[in-house]
Amino acid sequence: MATFELYRRSTIGMCLTETLDEMVSNGTLSPELAIQVLVQFDKSMTEALESQVKSKVSIKGHLHTYRFCDNVWTFILQDALFKNEDTQETVNRVKIVACDSKLLSQ
Amino acid sequence: MASSTTSAVYIHVIEDVINKVRDEFINNGGPGEAVLNELQGIWEMKMMRAGVICGPIDRSSGQKQPTPGGPITPVHDLNVPYEGTEEYETPTADMLFPPTPLQTPAPTPLPGSADGSMYNIPTGSSDYPTPVNDNSGGNTDVKGARPSPYPQQSPSPWPNQRTPLSVDVNVAYVEGREEGDRGTSNQPLTQDFFMMSAGKRKREDFATQYHNSGYIPQQDGAGDVTSEVTNLELVLVTDQGLLESSLDYMRAIMGSKGDNVLDRCDSATTEKIKIEAPSVTSSSKIPQQDGPIPDPYDDMLSTPNIYNYQGVVNEDYNVVNTPAPNDLQAATPAPVPQNDTGDDDDDEPLNEDDDDDLDDVDQGEDMNTAHLVLAQFDKVTRTKSRWKCTLKDGIMHINNKDILFNKATGEFDF
Repeated sequence: MATFELYRRSTIGMCLTETLDEMVSNGTLSPELAIQVLVQFDKSMTEALESQVKSKVSIKGHLHTYRFCDNVWTFILQDALFKNEDTQETVNRVKIVACDSKLLSQ
Repeated sequence: MASSTTSAVYIHVIEDVINKVRDEFINNGGPGEAVLNELQGIWEMKMMRAGVICGPIDRSSGQKQPTPGGPITPVHDLNVPYEGTEEYETPTADMLFPPTPLQTPAPTPLPGSADGSMYNIPTGSSDYPTPVNDNSGGNTDVKGARPSPYPQQSPSPWPNQRTPLSVDVNVAYVEGREEGDRGTSNQPLTQDFFMMSAGKRKREDFATQYHNSGYIPQQDGAGDVTSEVTNLELVLVTDQGLLESSLDYMRAIMGSKGDNVLDRCDSATTEKIKIEAPSVTSSSKIPQQDGPIPDPYDDMLSTPNIYNYQGVVNEDYNVVNTPAPNDLQAATPAPVPQNDTGDDDDDEPLNEDDDDDLDDVDQGEDMNTAHLVLAQFDKVTRTKSRWKCTLKDGIMHINNKDILFNKATGEFDF
């Protein structure tokens, strides 16, 4: 199953990466196993987002920068408004990084 | 703070990952379940620190998730005995020996345990008189978060007990390392102190040098102090002249709007110079040795650079200086430190805005990294400057909140 490494940049992914880094650097863990854990995280995170998350969000804002490179869209929005069912958040600058969902189904 | 759903999903992911890599950790000569528990413990601790997992409440619910098969109550019981020694009073050989050879190549505990069936003795005799405390509180750095992960994970209480015991074996090594680390980390500390004292000394040296006479004594060559300082004084004079003439020029360009700013700069510089003036004049009036004795006024007027480079500003310069001959008088004999501050004053008004801009940029970058959306895109379209995109399966980190979404629609104006 193909996975994205995209979600490693999220909070949970960064926390895991830091943990693995520490454990590899102090010799508790082999680098190979650490990578296996990361790959498993990619899978688990993707699955969880597909199966466990149902919420919808709308995003509006001024598009400051757009970039499409290696099948990854990057948007930098200014004065963006995020709305979901419960709340809405405004951010004066936000970066959106999105991989092509079709790549996963291949 | 983390929304409850986000927290639940995160906990689910952690459990899922840990469960699915367990085989790799236990079999094929992996590092063992203790290391896996450590991984989970540190991971969850970091998540809680990041505020994306809602503390112990959700963790307790998370604890129940992975242990539906196993008895829950004994698992919770285990939290208590960590403080006491009950567990260790009734160990079985099964608990001790099967996992340890796998996980730790070190036979260190075996000779001790061979002494008798008292399992407290080996660990106790090997520099760890209270192994239980070692697990629960002794290794706060690495394993502080561990006691809680144990109950979460273990399907039964017994493996749980295994892990601490097997951890004990590791502890000998880990602790050794930690102590070694502490030792090394102490050294830098003391070095720091040395550095600090050295720094202090340096500073004092400088201070005394300045206090002594007002100049820095010449120590590495012929006594060319005076010529050096006269050079400096010339530079300063021209600098000041340039500054003030350029201020005037700017004022002329900017009109009344710039006046306030420039006046502020002007007054700031003159104030500073005035403050510096007494000490300078009193201590370091430099005798003129290679020409006619200059009057401060003459100095000011005869500074050729001003006239040559900025002839146009000439008048302005005089206008500014009519109230400011004192400033020049004060600044003429300025030694090195004053010269530095003078330079700073020169720079401040000119670069102030640039600095602000840079700060803004930095802030912008911070914001940029602070708010992040990671997702997959289904479709991205554009009509003229209007962009539409549909995203799915995203993690947003916005305003220090983690929000997950299944679908998202975006409408952006470029």
